Amino acid sequence: MGSDFYQLSILPYAGIIIKICRAYTNSQEDFEDYYQEVCLQIWRSKDNFNKESEWSTWIYRISLNVCLTYLKRRKTGDKQIVSDSLPEEVIDDSKAFISDEINHLYNAIKHLSETDRAIILLYLEEKTYEEIAEIIGSNTNNIGVRIKRIKDRLNKIINKKD
Amino acid sequence: MNKSIETMWKEGFVNEDQLTVPKVNDLYNRKSQNIVDKLQNMFAININAIIIGSLIMLVMMSVIGAPFLGLYICCLLMPLVILAKKELKKSVNLSKGQSSYDYLISFNEWLQSSIDTYSWYYKMFYPLFFLGMATQAIVSKAGGKIIALFIEKFPTDILIVGYPYYLIVLITVLTLIVARYAEALYRLDLNIVYGRQFKKLEELITDMKTLRS
Repeated sequence: MGSDFYQLSILPYAGIIIKICRAYTNSQEDFEDYYQEVCLQIWRSKDNFNKESEWSTWIYRISLNVCLTYLKRRKTGDKQIVSDSLPEEVIDDSKAFISDEINHLYNAIKHLSETDRAIILLYLEEKTYEEIAEIIGSNTNNIGVRIKRIKDRLNKIINKKD
Repeated sequence: MNKSIETMWKEGFVNEDQLTVPKVNDLYNRKSQNIVDKLQNMFAININAIIIGSLIMLVMMSVIGAPFLGLYICCLLMPLVILAKKELKKSVNLSKGQSSYDYLISFNEWLQSSIDTYSWYYKMFYPLFFLGMATQAIVSKAGGKIIALFIEKFPTDILIVGYPYYLIVLITVLTLIVARYAEALYRLDLNIVYGRQFKKLEELITDMKTLRS
């Protein structure tokens, strides 16, 4: 990957990649692997970017695609801890986050299904329903209802832990 | 916790600059090693599968009353096992003291020469395999009955090693066709089993080449 491309086109959007990768990984090592893979895929697919959407939307899409693909591959390869049995301490090694509260929220997000994680992350990043639908390749109509359901589930998980 | 998830998120990322960006390093070295390891593992598994497969073939053929065919297939496959082990050893012995790009290039060169060697082997294996099966078919009881029916329908005085000439001609022609397309058959088989990995290797080399240019 050219260092100019990384500096100019990826680094300013690193926050997006970090936030998404964090939601799909349980260790610092995995997190770094996912981050690097996303950067690589962005670089590889840069020629496919058709400028119809924002570059940041493209980054969201690639990040989610990479994370979901990686996760699927890992699930078939080796058994991973899933949803409700997710131990609290698995995210303790996070260096990328600044508050306990956000770690707490991430921990709750990790209890959601892969797609729900993607939807809520995009919602929290203040993407419009249309953008969310475009990024995850879904219909705009049910995004609102789905977000409401996901938020309820998240609140339940968070409050249960408190 | 009384804050909404939106507030938690917003407050958690007030200053995005504080996020620690992981270093993008050593990515291609790791990727090179991963793909080479994966291919070498697949080759090793393949060798074991051939050994087990040939033994199963031997037992199965003996059970159905064709022990010689089983033994024949085993004998055909043994050189492949020896060849594959030799080739795999060559790949393991490739020098890793070079850059990952050079290593990948020499691995790819080894792979191509290895494929050429296997092609040469399969050009003989497939026709010989077919010939073995055909011979077993005509010497078997069921085959004998079918041949008898053929002789009844198409009687002939011309016999070659006790069989009607047209049967021998047919087997010869089919063997030649198999021999003609043996390499294509091998490449097809290779593509089904390793195609994805080969493509990844190719992509990785292209990426690294682009980076170096």
